[in-house]
Amino acid sequence: MTDHDIHITALFADDTRAADAVTALRQTEWPVADVHGPIPSQAISDALGIKTSGVGWFTLAGGVFGFFLGYFLAVFTSARWGLIVSGKPVLSYIPFFIVGFEFTILFSVLANVLGLILLMRLPAHRDLPCYRPECSADRFGVVVGCRRDEVPEVRRFLTELGGEMPGQADTQRDS
Amino acid sequence: MEKLSFAEIDNTVNATLEPPGRMYWTVVALLFCGVLVGAACWGWQILVGIGAGGQNSPVNWGTYLINFVFWVGIAHSGTLISAILYLLRAGWRNPIARAAETMTVFAVCTAGLFPFIHLGRVWMVYYMLPVPNQRTLWPNFQSPLMFDVVAISTYFIVSVLFWYTGMLPDFAVIRDRAAGVRKKIFTVLSLGWTARYEQWRHYSRGYLLFAALATPLVISVHSVVSWDFALGVAPGWHTTIFAPYFVAGAIHSGLAMVLTLMIPMRRIFNAQRIITMHVLESVAKTIVFTGLIVGFAYGTEYFIAWYSRNSVEMEVFALRSTGDFALQYWIMVVCNSLVPLLFFIRRIRTSIIWLFAISILVNIGMWFERFVIIISSVARDFLPHAWGDYAPTGIEYGIMLGSFCLFFFLFFLFVKHLPSISMTEMKELQHQAGTHD
Repeated sequence: MTDHDIHITALFADDTRAADAVTALRQTEWPVADVHGPIPSQAISDALGIKTSGVGWFTLAGGVFGFFLGYFLAVFTSARWGLIVSGKPVLSYIPFFIVGFEFTILFSVLANVLGLILLMRLPAHRDLPCYRPECSADRFGVVVGCRRDEVPEVRRFLTELGGEMPGQADTQRDS
Repeated sequence: MEKLSFAEIDNTVNATLEPPGRMYWTVVALLFCGVLVGAACWGWQILVGIGAGGQNSPVNWGTYLINFVFWVGIAHSGTLISAILYLLRAGWRNPIARAAETMTVFAVCTAGLFPFIHLGRVWMVYYMLPVPNQRTLWPNFQSPLMFDVVAISTYFIVSVLFWYTGMLPDFAVIRDRAAGVRKKIFTVLSLGWTARYEQWRHYSRGYLLFAALATPLVISVHSVVSWDFALGVAPGWHTTIFAPYFVAGAIHSGLAMVLTLMIPMRRIFNAQRIITMHVLESVAKTIVFTGLIVGFAYGTEYFIAWYSRNSVEMEVFALRSTGDFALQYWIMVVCNSLVPLLFFIRRIRTSIIWLFAISILVNIGMWFERFVIIISSVARDFLPHAWGDYAPTGIEYGIMLGSFCLFFFLFFLFVKHLPSISMTEMKELQHQAGTHD
């Protein structure tokens, strides 16, 4: 069990206040365990110091793989024929570019999805104790870790920052 | 833009998912009957042979290819709205992006049936897949038809994934408000989305990459469809203008279908505050733009034929506007190029009745455009003694009816069971405009 074995979720009406709360919390000893919100927010991402996602590397790798696979498939199948069709050489590299291009897009997208699934750790059906349904609707939830004896102080701190804590018995759970 | 709170957006969209009334199920049942008519016609054709359709030499590609190109075209504006306008940060796309993406998915599904139908012996479909057949022959990727298989399959897979990924946050919204079986279904569909910023970080990037990849894809797919014709040595087909001409036409027809679908939808679901007149007007303005491109392409085709000094080419185009297919040709020109010009008048492009009527006319015109391109060239080929006429049979009409009913059947089921307006994108729009509470 860590020192900060209690998690409290404060709900904010807009992302600016949630971002300010994150910035303020980072000056304290209470860690920001998570932030949930209905839309992506640059202000919150900046406050959390979130870096750009690496999903693009998956996409790039998929695209390169797809391009060569598409070209290989077209070359391989044509080599099996050995027939001249419409006066084109058996290995017509220029029209094969179309197959290569389509496979580039297809495998880029498949790799993009794979990257998203892996990086977002989906599917994730286990309950998140601090997740509040309001966070998918219209509230930004900041989840703060603290020790049991610090709960009143943390609540007061978050309330001063504009946070709401409806159903507080539910928001205070062991991590 | 009208001020909407996040809760109002959620309430409006969730209200569309309330259990439907008897009227809804009546319409769905009627559409399903239409689907059965189409399936029965196809079944009959499989039973007696491809001759049940009216396609025969010299017109071997009749309504099956017309409908294939028509539905692929309809699909394209969905990607234009969801991907290209996303990259261009056009805010008016957000309220209609989901419905347009859905239109894409169902239109590609419908289009994808036609190559199967046209095969006749549908069980031989594996000849189109990159596997060796029983004679150890592989498909030939020098053929534009094989380009098409690859392009359409890619387009379908990408469209479905783009559509589903876009719905993830909305599934979570519905899950969090639902109870019972619906909650369980949306829990599974949402994949456990909890809107953590760690998730948003990857999601936003991934969605942007989706849009960036879908944009060249959509242009390539209809270019590839156009090469089914342009790479064939037939007068009126063998031109370099076909790819941009087809892409512009596809977006033109798709935008018209967006209006055809959105206008009743906003009325039935009382979504006028989300799908505003500004949104419909923006679609109308884009239709003017694509209509001008299409009209320019019609003129350019004639110029190319004249400039080539090729007598067959010139004759084919002369016959298009004055011969046996003149009626279809002039329906095409009037509906696609002239009627949309009415949208230059503000009073017309802000009138629901005019918007709806013109969208229907453009859809009709675009169907006839495919008719004119596909039929008139091969019916009046190089050799006059090989000329022939073409008229669809009852079986073809039945299959066509079935395809339209299938598209609307799927769309009707969608709008009552899944979020037809993207709540997340609407919230982002309100947030960017600083108008939400």
